[in-house]
Amino acid sequence: MADLTLFSFQAGTTVLHDLDIRVKTVLVCMLSMVLFTAGFSACLACFLVVYPFTCAMGMTLSRLIARLKGFILLLIFMAAARAVTVPGEPILSVSGIEITRQGLAQGTLVGVRFFLVMMIGMLFAATTRPAALKSAAQWFLKPVPFVPEKRVALMISLCLKFFPLILSRAGQTADAVNARCGSVRKNPVRQIRFLTFPLLKKTVISADHLCLAMDARCYTEHRTDPAFEHNGRERLFLGAGTGLCAAMAVLSLDAFWMIFW
Amino acid sequence: MPRPILEIDQLTHAFFNGTGIHDICTRIFPGEFILLAGPNGSGKTTLIRHLNALVRPTSGEIRLHGRSVTADLIFTRKTIGMVFQDADTQIVADTVADEVAFGLENLNTPRARIHEKVHETLAYMNLIHLKDRNPSTLSGGEKRRLAIAGILVMDPEIIVLDEPFANLDHPASRDLVEVICRLNREGQTIIMATHEVEEVITHASRMLIMDGQGRLVKDGPPNELLGNLERFGIREPCFSRMGYTAPPWQT
Repeated sequence: MADLTLFSFQAGTTVLHDLDIRVKTVLVCMLSMVLFTAGFSACLACFLVVYPFTCAMGMTLSRLIARLKGFILLLIFMAAARAVTVPGEPILSVSGIEITRQGLAQGTLVGVRFFLVMMIGMLFAATTRPAALKSAAQWFLKPVPFVPEKRVALMISLCLKFFPLILSRAGQTADAVNARCGSVRKNPVRQIRFLTFPLLKKTVISADHLCLAMDARCYTEHRTDPAFEHNGRERLFLGAGTGLCAAMAVLSLDAFWMIFW
Repeated sequence: MPRPILEIDQLTHAFFNGTGIHDICTRIFPGEFILLAGPNGSGKTTLIRHLNALVRPTSGEIRLHGRSVTADLIFTRKTIGMVFQDADTQIVADTVADEVAFGLENLNTPRARIHEKVHETLAYMNLIHLKDRNPSTLSGGEKRRLAIAGILVMDPEIIVLDEPFANLDHPASRDLVEVICRLNREGQTIIMATHEVEEVITHASRMLIMDGQGRLVKDGPPNELLGNLERFGIREPCFSRMGYTAPPWQT
């Protein structure tokens, strides 16, 4: 698991790896929506259900925190901002800035919700091949009128493929610039000229080569429809996921009304 | 005399700066192993892109089985499989099996047939053990074999390879030569564009030499052209320069 990077697919044989991508997508969407209004108890319930799956992937809480440390810092900043801006009962006052009990509670809750969404997202990405994601996008968009679902699906797939390639090229270009003491000059205009423009040029050339390679293999939009993998537990997962979401919604009724009041 | 598969007739492709290819005329017959040699910038890549109708000529024509290659692009691209120089930008899928399936999916082949053909091709190219691997994690030689598998699965009559030995180490180059020779022995027509002829010259049945101005200047059996290579900016194989016969692995 040492090589696992944020939001990258990790080959494996867990039950989530074999689960139909459409069911996984629906579950992730449902959980994310319910988390939007979830209270502390609902978040805890969600964590207790999701955490065993992340552990099965080798992502223990300490590893998750280590991998998401930048994001967690952002969440702490968000919580702190809420703590000092939401009016309520003050628990601490520093130089005229008051930290309120309600603000701290709201900020922490928002942070916990975002953390859980990230955790679910990481689990989804780690157990889902990008090709399956493309197939799911195509399947979900098929009934939508005026949307070329095959083209959109291919664009998603190419973006997922090209993003790491662009990052790798950016690293190579930066290394080449730094090897000639480019890092000594901090002028942002120079950085754009000697880093961004060459990277952009390389990316466009790569995209052009990719288009030619796809043309050479008869690329059309009238392609064979994607195949979906099943492990026979889709109904069970869908039922259990719906149950969890319903339980979280019930536990979150207070938090839900809090949004309107 | 068999009928030619491909006829290239006075093909010219001029770029804005005056470079390009000029008045290329030749015919390709079934089962040939053609080595298209020339220095960098001689127009090898431009010429082979025309074979696949990926670019349009300034003048001239290429006919595949008597019909212009631009008349039916799907037929042309299915019949002439092209392996590009940079395997990384040719690979579109995130697993080896999906990459091989890409061409067949484009041809709207039924899923069951795709599975069958992909399995056959992966086994033939000795890639079956890597079928679930991400192509970006493969070695240079494996990537090149994958690129060939990606077009072989479409049952082409001609395989065109653009600088297949670029960035490959010696063992990977040797493996690739073995694969290409096996394909040729089994009846596949091969056209290979390269400026490094040492690895394959003894396997090729015919050699076309392009000069730095994009003209086809020599066409004949490789053993007869060995002495002309250096004149056109192509490195003469070591065995030929030293007056030896071809080393055993090449024969």
